[in-house]
Amino acid sequence: MNKIFWCLVGLLLGSFALPSTSQAHRLDEYLQATLVSIEPSEVRLQINLTPGVAVADQVIQLIDHDRDGVISTNEATAYAKLLMRDLSLRLDQRKVELKLISSNFPTPTELRTGSGIIQIEFFAAIGPLPARAHRLILENRHLRALSVYLFNAAPPRSGSVHIARQKRNDSQSTGEIEFTID
Amino acid sequence: MSNKTILASALCLFAASLALNSFAQGNPPTSKASGEIATAANKFLATLDDGQRGRVVFDFKDEAQRKRWSNLPATMFKRAGLRMGDLTKPQSDSVLAVLAAALSPQGYEKILQIMQGDEVLRKTDGGGRVIFGREEYYISFLGQPSTIEPWTIQFGGHHLGLNITLVGKQGTLTPSHTGAQPAIYELEGKTVRPLGRETDKAFALISSLDEAQRKQAILGFQMHDLVLGPGRDGQMIQPEGIKGSDLTQKQREMLLDLASEWTGIMHEAVAKAKMEELKQHITETWFAWSGPTEKGSAAYFRIQGPTVIIEYAPQRLGEDPTKHIHTIYRDPTNDYGAKWRTR
Repeated sequence: MNKIFWCLVGLLLGSFALPSTSQAHRLDEYLQATLVSIEPSEVRLQINLTPGVAVADQVIQLIDHDRDGVISTNEATAYAKLLMRDLSLRLDQRKVELKLISSNFPTPTELRTGSGIIQIEFFAAIGPLPARAHRLILENRHLRALSVYLFNAAPPRSGSVHIARQKRNDSQSTGEIEFTID
Repeated sequence: MSNKTILASALCLFAASLALNSFAQGNPPTSKASGEIATAANKFLATLDDGQRGRVVFDFKDEAQRKRWSNLPATMFKRAGLRMGDLTKPQSDSVLAVLAAALSPQGYEKILQIMQGDEVLRKTDGGGRVIFGREEYYISFLGQPSTIEPWTIQFGGHHLGLNITLVGKQGTLTPSHTGAQPAIYELEGKTVRPLGRETDKAFALISSLDEAQRKQAILGFQMHDLVLGPGRDGQMIQPEGIKGSDLTQKQREMLLDLASEWTGIMHEAVAKAKMEELKQHITETWFAWSGPTEKGSAAYFRIQGPTVIIEYAPQRLGEDPTKHIHTIYRDPTNDYGAKWRTR
């Protein structure tokens, strides 16, 4: 817990110490882009996380616990689970449990360039759902002080799922998808 | 019959048999433009030594190289191919000749203005770890220049990622990234706005919507970046905003005119074919907006139809976001010429 607290403090302080080229690119923000795929009996979340150059080291500190400069499989899984704990998925007012499916981490060197994208995918079993209107809400509380978010539904592959409406809060840290099942 | 006549007749027959053979094998028809582009590319290759040629031409099936493009400066995202700054003047002129052949005059001008903008950034950035400037752009080919076989021209650097796939007379620019920083600058006494036309046309379109239409078009949340930018190959999102079927005929024309700022980067024949395709799908094409609607403000917009995705996203990075813009142009059915490559 203390380690996470100090990492967050570091992230906040780091955001004030940007190099002269900070005007050129997203350096001081952590972009978290979520794509939500809804199918009749499952939901998948594809989350792409891109730390800017100025915050990359602090994010790496959260991942590379033994500080050996390599993101091991255990460290990758631990970080993905940390992210998972910061996500809250609700379907029709009931909490839905997420499961980690896969993760792909660039090397710390690549992450430090600002171009490295961490890709994490989660799965939730939701069905089969009854044929009617449903509402899915995802809240992302991960590293909120530093993050910017994108939230989007993917076009369903199944012809029986129809996205009716998407809503987000202003920052897109929370997104809501209204959909129907035939 | 003279010897000359016999020789001419034989050459005609030989040419005809080649053409017939080409059709018989199902090769795509070629065009004047595809011939000019391949000729310009071969002229460029002829200016290179063997080592350079080995670094600029990749196998057409090299998927890692196909995806090696970005909005980021070359010092932040490593590209392959040949760097403009490492070429001689005749060689770099030849690269520009390839682009001039593949692009429309206005598309070519836009690309030069984006690169010139990066040169302005180099001179005003004050020095740092990131290097900007017109020398930091890279050229590479996937496959050999051809009027028949598929091949791709990749040209890019900071705020530019062109992926031009050509198969006979067909061609696509998708996926490609354009951007600008600064989005407005002075050059030889003139004000330059590399993405000025798309900016102005977008504000004209949103201004033309009535209150009920705006309610549909305007997304009630901030858009911090492109959703389907570089690195998002293969992803697709549910369309939002106002549908083309809910626009007036005049507004549909304005939407197509706005899209032409991306489709029209390519040479006329390809641009015209793409525009015809967009016209066919105009009632199923969506327009979404996020941000203020007053001209000159920073606002995101998206055009999304069955065969097109265009996003325009001002970047809020500690400066005036109207001066730093990212855009993406994709075709969910034909990025990198996918539908021609799989035939």
